Amino acid sequence: MRKGSIAFSLFWLSAGWLILALAGTAFLLTDLYSRALDTSLANQLRFNIDTLSSATLDSTDPNFDDVGVQDPRFTRAATGWYWVIRDEAEQILATSRSAVGMLMPQLSGAFDADNYRTGILEDESGNSLRALERKTTSNGRPLHIMVTGNLGESLALVGQFRGQTLTVLGAVGVALAIMSGIVARLALRPIGRLGRAIEQVREGESQSITGTYPSEVAPLAEEINELLRSNTQIIERARNAVGNLAHGLKTPLAVLRNEASAAKDNPLARVVGSESEKMTQLVTTYLDRARLAARSGVVGKKADATMIMLRLVRVMEKLNKHVTIAFKRPDASLPWFRGDEGDLEEMAGNLLDNACKWSKGKIAVTMMAERTSSSQAFLLIRIEDDGPGLTEEEAQKVLRRGVRLDEKTPGSGLGLDIVKELVDVYGGSLQLRQSVLGGVLAELKLPAAKVGGLTRS
Amino acid sequence: MRILVIEDDTNLNRQIKDAVTEGGYAVDVAFDGEEGHYLGDTEPYDAVVLDIGLPQMDGLSVLEEWRRAGKSMPVLLLTARDRWSDKVQGIDAGADDYLAKPFHMEELLARLRALVRRAAGHASNEITAGPVRLDVKAGKVTVDGQAIKLTSHELRLLSYLMHHKGKVVSRTELTEHLYDQDFDRDSNTIEVFVGRLRKKLPEEVIHTVRGLGYQILEE
Repeated sequence: MRKGSIAFSLFWLSAGWLILALAGTAFLLTDLYSRALDTSLANQLRFNIDTLSSATLDSTDPNFDDVGVQDPRFTRAATGWYWVIRDEAEQILATSRSAVGMLMPQLSGAFDADNYRTGILEDESGNSLRALERKTTSNGRPLHIMVTGNLGESLALVGQFRGQTLTVLGAVGVALAIMSGIVARLALRPIGRLGRAIEQVREGESQSITGTYPSEVAPLAEEINELLRSNTQIIERARNAVGNLAHGLKTPLAVLRNEASAAKDNPLARVVGSESEKMTQLVTTYLDRARLAARSGVVGKKADATMIMLRLVRVMEKLNKHVTIAFKRPDASLPWFRGDEGDLEEMAGNLLDNACKWSKGKIAVTMMAERTSSSQAFLLIRIEDDGPGLTEEEAQKVLRRGVRLDEKTPGSGLGLDIVKELVDVYGGSLQLRQSVLGGVLAELKLPAAKVGGLTRS
Repeated sequence: MRILVIEDDTNLNRQIKDAVTEGGYAVDVAFDGEEGHYLGDTEPYDAVVLDIGLPQMDGLSVLEEWRRAGKSMPVLLLTARDRWSDKVQGIDAGADDYLAKPFHMEELLARLRALVRRAAGHASNEITAGPVRLDVKAGKVTVDGQAIKLTSHELRLLSYLMHHKGKVVSRTELTEHLYDQDFDRDSNTIEVFVGRLRKKLPEEVIHTVRGLGYQILEE
């Protein structure tokens, strides 16, 4: 769980509440328990006062030497359990055996309506005492009867209780925290799945987000699918518009150009000719760029490169009767191209067209897969011809990086501009080398989709 | 050689017609898909220039209909859509070649010549028969290296016979392939032109096969 994650916040939020709630519970329980103990102690003291009080009535001794209670705690010294009978002037008349020889502290404060007063005292041995004193009259003699109980015993019990409560509640707290952590993870699992589904779409393995999601996440998945759909539609419309524009512009341009070139001596025809030539180039350049712009937004597409190459080879052989194209069909484990079918056709088609243009009769096409160390798979398409070939310098010039469509005159020879642009869009590469056939070896390296033999391993 | 041009833009249609006529072919034109399809279906053409974007019936449908009906004349597709997917689609529909607009007339003519030549089974732009040599591209004829002057009708006639060297060509076939559809077919002009042509060429180049037609022998 990282900081800044939903699971992290959920965990700490619930943990905070748990600590507060459990600590409160422990405090409340201990308080209730200590009150109960205190009440019980007070009841004992009152019972003993009542016993003493009735004993004084029966006493014949003016100093109440024959008065006492049964409880043995009042007989042993310094237990904290004492009783004292005083007269009105606070002179001690009698004490319990436990209080013999001790200086008994006195309660201060007024008696209540029932003639009782209470308080906490401390004896000479340091015991904390709960004291209860009653003002009464025995056979016409006013008496103050005080009984004390050991508060320390109660406090010890409370302390013990508090310790046990904290242990039990702490264990409960830890269990709840673990559970809330697990719940947070479980609850967030669909989000992780959604993330992987989106990645699959980007990788071109699926067209849309599939699978069932809980009702909280399902609308999000649906929205993403909607977005993908509308994106595809927009691109489709843009492409159609570009195609229509091309058709609309190119026919009149062809007419102008032909008309002008038919009347070369006419100065007007010369102007029309050269200007329509420029317009043709502009149209070509900008249509290509518009198509590229529409392309770069394409996600989630893949194409069977083998089928495309078979189709192109068939077409090129029909168009160029003088060449034979040797194409060994790769086995079915060859990964697919991660991108648009039309784009691959465009790249491979132009390279094949060049090869046919320069070839003396033999062309070879090979396809294979390549895996780099960074576990990304690539598709290699090699097209070789037996034409005159290119020198190292010429190849470098043709392939010069950063030479874009708009900086270069279109149609300047090999028609590689569109191929280079597309290769860049897909993050692939194009190399031109010397072929064993004698001519050019053009190697297209393009990203492979994550399906097909190699990438599955 | 008779060519059918189907293009809906009237200016471009006229330009192509002029250029192809200039190149030594008889030309028929159509301005929409239905008309073009009908002409290609009923008349014998040596090649067709077909635009893809046509009213009534688009070019690819016209082409597919022809191929389904067993028409095998070479077809050159014209289109503004120069994506490879469009080319593949066109070739798969039965086209023999493909030209993207805007194009140079010279290129259209070169491709057309190549299509006609290939359909007749010739590999190069030069066809020879004994001492006679025909340069299809330049429209020039030489006999033993000496250039001879031919009228455009004579050249068309010789070109058709040379293209179909070894084959007996009937008068009807010649009429159908050398003249456009507006030509008066009842006249005897074919015989007149064959007679004139024979005077300019060495004897025995053009044989008459009695009752069947004419033939230039294969060496």
